Amino acid sequence: MELVVRIEGLVKSFGSFAALRGLDLRVGRGEVHGFLGPNGAGKSTTIRVLLGLLRADAGRVELLAGDPWRDVVGLHRRLAYVPGDVSLWPGLTGGEAIDLLGRLRGGVDERRRARLLERFELDPTKRGRTYSKGNRQKVAIVAALASDVELLILDEPTSGLDPLMEAVFQDEIAAVKAAGRTVLLSSHILSEVEALADRISIIRDGRVVQTGTLEQMRLHTRTTVTAALTDDPAGLDRLPGVHDVRVDGHRLVCSVDTEHIGAVMVELGRRGITAITVSPASLEDLFLRQYDNEPTAGARP
Amino acid sequence: MMVGFRPLFAVTVRQDARNIAPWIVLITALSASSILAYSWVFPDPASRAALSVAVGANPAFSLLFGQARDLSTAEGFNAWRTLALGGFFAALMAIFTVVRNSRADEDSGQAELVASGVVGRHARLAVAVAVASLACLVLGVVSAAVTVLFGGSIADSAALSATYTASGLVFAGVAAVTAQLGSYARTATAMAVSVLGVGYLARAYSDTIDPDGPAIWFSPLGWTAQVRPAAGNNWWPLLGCLGLTVVLLAVANVLLARRDFGMGLVPPSPGPDRGGAVASVWGLALRLHRGSMIGWTLVFVLLGVVFGYLSTTLGGVFARNADFAAVLGARGGSAADLTFAFLLTLLTVLGIIAAVYGVQIGMRFYAEELEYRAEPLLAAALARPKLFASHAVIALLGPAAALLLGGAVIGVTSAAAGGSAGAADLVVQALAEIPAVWVLIGLSLALIGAHPVARPAAWLGVVAAFVLTILGPMFRLWDWILGISPFWHVPNITTTNPDYLGLLWLSLLAAALITTGFAGYRRRDVI
Repeated sequence: MELVVRIEGLVKSFGSFAALRGLDLRVGRGEVHGFLGPNGAGKSTTIRVLLGLLRADAGRVELLAGDPWRDVVGLHRRLAYVPGDVSLWPGLTGGEAIDLLGRLRGGVDERRRARLLERFELDPTKRGRTYSKGNRQKVAIVAALASDVELLILDEPTSGLDPLMEAVFQDEIAAVKAAGRTVLLSSHILSEVEALADRISIIRDGRVVQTGTLEQMRLHTRTTVTAALTDDPAGLDRLPGVHDVRVDGHRLVCSVDTEHIGAVMVELGRRGITAITVSPASLEDLFLRQYDNEPTAGARP
Repeated sequence: MMVGFRPLFAVTVRQDARNIAPWIVLITALSASSILAYSWVFPDPASRAALSVAVGANPAFSLLFGQARDLSTAEGFNAWRTLALGGFFAALMAIFTVVRNSRADEDSGQAELVASGVVGRHARLAVAVAVASLACLVLGVVSAAVTVLFGGSIADSAALSATYTASGLVFAGVAAVTAQLGSYARTATAMAVSVLGVGYLARAYSDTIDPDGPAIWFSPLGWTAQVRPAAGNNWWPLLGCLGLTVVLLAVANVLLARRDFGMGLVPPSPGPDRGGAVASVWGLALRLHRGSMIGWTLVFVLLGVVFGYLSTTLGGVFARNADFAAVLGARGGSAADLTFAFLLTLLTVLGIIAAVYGVQIGMRFYAEELEYRAEPLLAAALARPKLFASHAVIALLGPAAALLLGGAVIGVTSAAAGGSAGAADLVVQALAEIPAVWVLIGLSLALIGAHPVARPAAWLGVVAAFVLTILGPMFRLWDWILGISPFWHVPNITTTNPDYLGLLWLSLLAAALITTGFAGYRRRDVI
């Protein structure tokens, strides 16, 4: 896999506060990579190092096979960025801001610009200070998507968007992905990441604690099985990998280690299935599990 | 209407104290230091008489500081040196405090949280004005107490300090009005500071042309001058200041009731849907600074006209003034020399104002970064040096052009009114000031580029240059201290053999500072 982002052992401190403590991150070409973590885990700091805004204290950072601190201009021609909290020039209109950012990046695709403005229902003649939070966000999204770049770096891009616009956004990112472009999508909206991401990295306290596809992550989780059987479900709890068994007449609810799900299915089939629901762990389960296992201050409500 | 005033007031005072304290320290230090320095620098009647002659012979001094009524006592000297300047700084303190706590919070959205709470419509402005008024009162008390402590007489020091409080109060009222008119905090501040500038200039004009004539009553800063601390202590003009403050506050509250939250009285209009010229780094920088560039250029034209016109009226001033003859007798100069000395001082003042202009552009550049607007630009294919350059060029060339324009306008106005100063000489002299101006602006660029936490030191540099250049010689400071100010190294180009070597050193220093800024900005973290 050709790597677009390769970070190894990245350390960044602000005074005595260590924001990143040895972070590793790999994003392959053409993938949508979900970058997950709660507030303050170090997502934005990582992105700002990738953008060459912050200088790494230690570790190796490679972006599009270049050094993000030194090869700023060359690299930035090939990427577009949407911050999570867009600050617009109060006196400039949205259209002016889009053109400014687009032209700095090396040009705007006119047709795409017009199409995006329409899809996102954005009025480009309003001044920066009169836009709402969601509309400011749209300005940055349109500016980023209107330019033809290899890599999109999106830092919580949909904060403030309404559900309709959120759907439009997901649609556009799917098109970007279909065109073979790479997306680094930092987010804490799990459904968005679940819908879009090929691979996911979960960050916690300045380190990536888990990375992989959703399927790979599910390997270490349990699948919830709800079944109604013709036979008596007794004894199923003695099968390897079956936990939390609850029996109510012929109905059974249990959770099963994902690696044993096949054997359990065979055993259930032998007892005659009349109805069954199998739900793999959702990203939310994964995420909560990651943060529940080793609770740290502030990570739990 | 005033629900929520008390808790909001308490929080604001606690938060804003650190912004206000430096002004109080600065003004108090101005006042206390002149008392302290006077007996030390001018120990005997002969040196005091010499001071009177020196001040009397250059009308630039009465233009800048007001009339010197009695320089034979420490209190009289203090009243002359600090009344106008202290009042000016007090007014700035009040303007910044009012706008910061009313208008600026609306721009940042912080006020929305407050306004949504149980807070009356008028409470936020009332809090801002109350905090500014409290600051003015504390300033008066502290400055009077410290000045007395350093040996000033109680009645004179109290009268002088009361003029600071009065100037501050009036301009708190002015700022309360402009905060309702402008669409942004920056506009509101610019409007209030313009009013202050015009008020100062009106007082200066009157003090130069017709001291104590009717024109002095045009400006509230003239009213405070009429208090005449240490030369009569005439308290009643202060009542006028209080009355004007009350009227201004009433106007502000009427306007407040008529505008929408977060907007000025002029609603924002839609603009172009395409980028055009603004869609480049240079275009953006020009657009961001356009307002201040126009404003400052107007300031220099106005000052040029006033200074140029005043230079042609000096004949009358000299004729009235006995000191003039004394200086001519002692130095053997001519009236033309004295006129050029007057203009030289004013050109230096213009140079310092040009430095303020440049430093302000630099600070605005950093404010953009603080508001997270450098980030999206640098995330595009834009090299940091180019972004820095787009603002640095404006910060350096804008003030230089304005200064040259100011010099030219002085020359033209003076010539049109039949003055003796040559326009060419004035432009060349203004040109010679530019390296010194660039040293001060370069300092701000170096700090903003390399170590922005320390950027207030750039303002300190401007204040130090002003104090050392304009007041330093009067205090007969040593050359090596006076030489700290870059303007000390600027030659008088009308002398027979001007020493241009100083300009070379200034240029090298400015280049080094600007380079430091560039190098630092490449290397540091961007917010």
